[in-house]
Amino acid sequence: MKKFLAKRLSGRHSSLWASFLAIILTLITASALLLIMGKNPLVAFQSFLQGCGFLPKANYGGGSGMLSDLFDFLNYLAPLMLAALAFIAGFKTGLFNIGISGQMLISGFLATVLVGYNKELSAVVAKPLVILIGILAGGLVGALVGFLKFRFNIHEVVSTIMINYIISYLTGFFINNNFVNIMTRTSNVCSPASRLTWTNVQIGGVNCKVPLGIVIAVLIAFVVKFLFDKTSFGFELKAVGLNAQCAKYFGVGVGKSIVFSMAISGALAGLAGVTYYLGYTNTIIPKTLVGMGYDSISVALLGNSSPIGAIFASVIVCIFQQGANYMSSRVGVAKEIASLITGIMLLYASCGNYMKMIANSYLRKEMDKSSDRKEEER
Amino acid sequence: MEKVFTDGLSFALPLLIMAVGAIYSEKSGVTNLAVEGFQGVGAFVGALIAILLIPLMGNGNQAIIYIAMLAAAIGAGLYACLHALLCIKFHADQVISGVVINILAVALTTFFTSAANTAITGTASNKFILGVSNRFTVPGLSKIPWIGGLFTNMYPFEIIIIVLVIFFWYLMNKTRYGMSLKACGENPQAVDAAGGDVEKTRWIAVIISGALSGIGGMCFAYSLLANFSPSIYQGYGYLAIAAMIFGNWNIGSTALVCLIFGLAKSGGYQLCIAMKLPSNYSDLFLMLPYVLTMLLLIFFSKKNHPPKAAGQPWDKGKR
Amino acid sequence: MSEYIVEMRHITKRFPGIVANDDVSISIRKGEVYALLGENGAGKSTMMSMLFGMYEPDSGEILINGKPVVFHSSTDATAQSIGMVHQHFKLVDTYTVAENIVLGIEPMERKFGFLPWVDMKKANKEIAELSKKYGLEVNPTDLIGDLQVSVRQRVEILKMLYRKAEIMIFDEPTAVLTPQEIDFLLDIIDGLRKDGKTIILITHKIMEIKRIADRCAILRRGKLIDVKNVAETSVQEMADLMVGHKVSFNQQKAEARFRETILDVDHLTVKNEDNFEVVKDVSFKVRGGEIFAVTGVSGNGQTEIADAVAGLMKIASGTVKLDGKDITNASVRERALSGISYIPEDRHGTGMVLDFTLRDNLALREYFKEPFSHKGILNQEQFQKYAEELIGRYDIRSGQGPATIVRSMSGGNQQKAIVGREIEEKSKLIIFVQPTRGLDIGAIENIHRQILQERDNGAAILLISLELDEIMELADTIGVIYRGELLKIAPAGEMSSHEVGRYMMGVKDA
Repeated sequence: MKKFLAKRLSGRHSSLWASFLAIILTLITASALLLIMGKNPLVAFQSFLQGCGFLPKANYGGGSGMLSDLFDFLNYLAPLMLAALAFIAGFKTGLFNIGISGQMLISGFLATVLVGYNKELSAVVAKPLVILIGILAGGLVGALVGFLKFRFNIHEVVSTIMINYIISYLTGFFINNNFVNIMTRTSNVCSPASRLTWTNVQIGGVNCKVPLGIVIAVLIAFVVKFLFDKTSFGFELKAVGLNAQCAKYFGVGVGKSIVFSMAISGALAGLAGVTYYLGYTNTIIPKTLVGMGYDSISVALLGNSSPIGAIFASVIVCIFQQGANYMSSRVGVAKEIASLITGIMLLYASCGNYMKMIANSYLRKEMDKSSDRKEEER
Repeated sequence: MEKVFTDGLSFALPLLIMAVGAIYSEKSGVTNLAVEGFQGVGAFVGALIAILLIPLMGNGNQAIIYIAMLAAAIGAGLYACLHALLCIKFHADQVISGVVINILAVALTTFFTSAANTAITGTASNKFILGVSNRFTVPGLSKIPWIGGLFTNMYPFEIIIIVLVIFFWYLMNKTRYGMSLKACGENPQAVDAAGGDVEKTRWIAVIISGALSGIGGMCFAYSLLANFSPSIYQGYGYLAIAAMIFGNWNIGSTALVCLIFGLAKSGGYQLCIAMKLPSNYSDLFLMLPYVLTMLLLIFFSKKNHPPKAAGQPWDKGKR
Repeated sequence: MSEYIVEMRHITKRFPGIVANDDVSISIRKGEVYALLGENGAGKSTMMSMLFGMYEPDSGEILINGKPVVFHSSTDATAQSIGMVHQHFKLVDTYTVAENIVLGIEPMERKFGFLPWVDMKKANKEIAELSKKYGLEVNPTDLIGDLQVSVRQRVEILKMLYRKAEIMIFDEPTAVLTPQEIDFLLDIIDGLRKDGKTIILITHKIMEIKRIADRCAILRRGKLIDVKNVAETSVQEMADLMVGHKVSFNQQKAEARFRETILDVDHLTVKNEDNFEVVKDVSFKVRGGEIFAVTGVSGNGQTEIADAVAGLMKIASGTVKLDGKDITNASVRERALSGISYIPEDRHGTGMVLDFTLRDNLALREYFKEPFSHKGILNQEQFQKYAEELIGRYDIRSGQGPATIVRSMSGGNQQKAIVGREIEEKSKLIIFVQPTRGLDIGAIENIHRQILQERDNGAAILLISLELDEIMELADTIGVIYRGELLKIAPAGEMSSHEVGRYMMGVKDA
């Protein structure tokens, strides 16, 4: 068993195995937690899946069914996947964008105010405009962070957090002053034409919300992969991320790369923002940063910061986040456990390199032992 | 005007104790972006203990506050072991580790607050109601014009923080442990060759860092917020880190920076009241510390010299 | 009482992939200077690291004063009065001399009668006395970061003395010193011997052994070859034993044939991040077919000259011309394309991306050009083909060929890859900074041969090295740098190494 794991963790697919192990460990930890609380983990995991439309529930309300749950799942999955890709785009260049929530918020806010509240725009104009605004707003914030980093040596973790709170208070102020719905205490809803999710679509006899974002997200995953694997620009970004000094030495403009990379990261975060605020929720809670910005880091690390890995990892994280409501109602555990599980998964995923290190040294010891034995036999 | 100083100081000191914690960790060579998480977990543990003690000792019993502070320090110190484990033992990227610690802290405390509330009161609330600590005024000093506000309506914990900061300044600069700690952050090989234990020194530093941050978090819970809830995560941990950076990892100058932060925050708020703006506008003033931080970072970041070995794992076998 | 103060018996130590020490036994008498001679990688340092407790031997035993000891850490060794001056000094730059020396054993006083308080005044006094007694000329309150390498080394010696070491290990102590500083150091060692200390000297320089050592153990590839009385053994004999075959001291070097000027540096001034002038008003020319070597004590601005010429550091004033073209404000990429190759000092930090494959690292100068990429899209087949070519031509050895992650390769092969990549550009100017540091003798010879070959092909070579022997062997012209100024430029034949050493320490022409 030990040897089996060690070999997997040091072989060609070591990262895949490390992620796999992280998921298993997370499930074990979560089960232990549930058992301590006197709940049945199997029922809990089953209801997570039911809540996401992967397994049928016992009964459904009028007009909804398994398919509508599945589409709700996709609605949440789309921004999460995009947010994770945003993190990855920066991370490959060695940048730690933890301001994704803020970049999502500013993009969502601007798109809502500029397009969502404009009742005259037709869907053909409004939807592309929303996407464009999302990309631009997020991209500009990202570029600013990159500029601050290379020009003033400000660590992006600190600057993005500060910008997060600035955006949160600033947008909160404008929403509360100008755009608030007195009943819900959130911003007014956007026009259906501008929304990136088609609501009330009848599929197989049930009501579904069909997200445009999921198509964009999967597409972007392949674009990001292409950028980093196949282009000379991506080659330079990766070099900057792994060894900026060397990149400078072979002629890469390091400052330019940092700004571009953060701009791409921010742009994707902005895209995630509009898919979230003009797709999934259709409204903004003032002065609130979504947890998705942090969940995206779990997704990225679990997916071994590979864009394709992120597709699968986001599905797993999304199951916990999206299925939590149903699980909570059925098993009676606070739905915040979803974030806890995501956090634990992040913890294990961040230990991936250590697992590989242990596996390598274990194998080396085994090898030494067996070569010693051979020597003695001779 | 007096109120500006009073509120400014009561914001600056918890910030300072967290910054001192961050300085300990970074000076020992462990990059610490986990302050935010440490203070949150500290406040959670302290608040939980307080909630459990209130029925036993009576509401309004001030002794509870001190027990809660101690619990916060211990709880956050223990939680900091996770950061130490990841950074020192597992050689994880210290920036990643810090962020992981913060995210996990939010998730852990939020979940267990509602779990604990369900168990204690039967309703799932995400808050522990604590109330606000009593205050006192230093006779004499408070009569000084202008800065008398610094000594008016003080929280008792402010005195505790000042004493702790002086003690930890002494520990860092005038004891063997402190000399070894600072050397670990500059050149761990030197400490190893001189017979010191780099890993142990760093473990202790990170635990101290956690404990001090926990106290800071508890102070916020007992003053600004009057409760423990997810709103404890307002980025104050990151403000402390920024203060440490402007203070150039020096306890004295960091104290000054924290005071500036505190006065800017309370000054903005008082200005908002004086101008009789609608309550919505307070959001704009709450933004001030963050804007100020960004501006200060732009002007001062380039000149700073972080500890040379911060962020690099120490491997005894590698020379 | 045993005859020997230190005995190491049948010591074997393995590291993954290699046997660093194979059944080595040595015995050292009290009060002698005992040298360990061998090439880089012969196992000298490993042997002494075990005596100093940094590694534990796989088998064998260590005896001090006839009693067996087991060291788990250097603390254990220090407790047995063993001290060591490492090749890379273990000092804290931001601390004073005294703070470094007393680190971990600071003298304490009681402030206000109860509070433990580090007593630096006492430390300063004790160290000043110690320094005077052994003629070390060190000021206890100086900041380490401000000190020259040779002074830092004496701080390390003081550290051993302060910790009451009786057995003192010196690991390649002369590698970074000028000839005059070497004389001074050897005098200090002689003084220590007279004071009854036992000295172990790790070195690959036979002349030093001849001058100072009593006995000498010769190691080769982890095995003990012989132990000789130095007085009765000739230099040639020791060299033959060290290398394992007859060595000829002079490498074949063809007569230089200088061509037109390639690099023209005129009144160059470079400032570092703290706005301090690290290179001051430096002017020199390098011709095609010429090896221009810049020598100086470490940290006097020589690497900054290389960085400024290559474009990695901004030029504050002055001009740099390449083949007549002004490149003072050109970008790194433009300079490379107009004909500069650069083998940097820090091969891990600057020369390659350790987590990239060998294939990608070999393409760092080419990846953006046709046919490596077309309209920004990379052509992986071309990467592969180019890597295979270079691997064959420069004999780069690795586990999985072009797909090897460079981090897993040996230092020698990493350097071969960098040198190959840079030479392959057929540049007009090739800059070599410390090209042979840390390599074993085979690899060193190989790189020296390549440098000479490129010179003979007509390239201008700017060589920067701390190894004076290397400079004396290769250079056609020598420039000596001191505190950022080029004090002297002269044809190599016209200066002895002692003269060069004088300039290295800042003695100007009268």
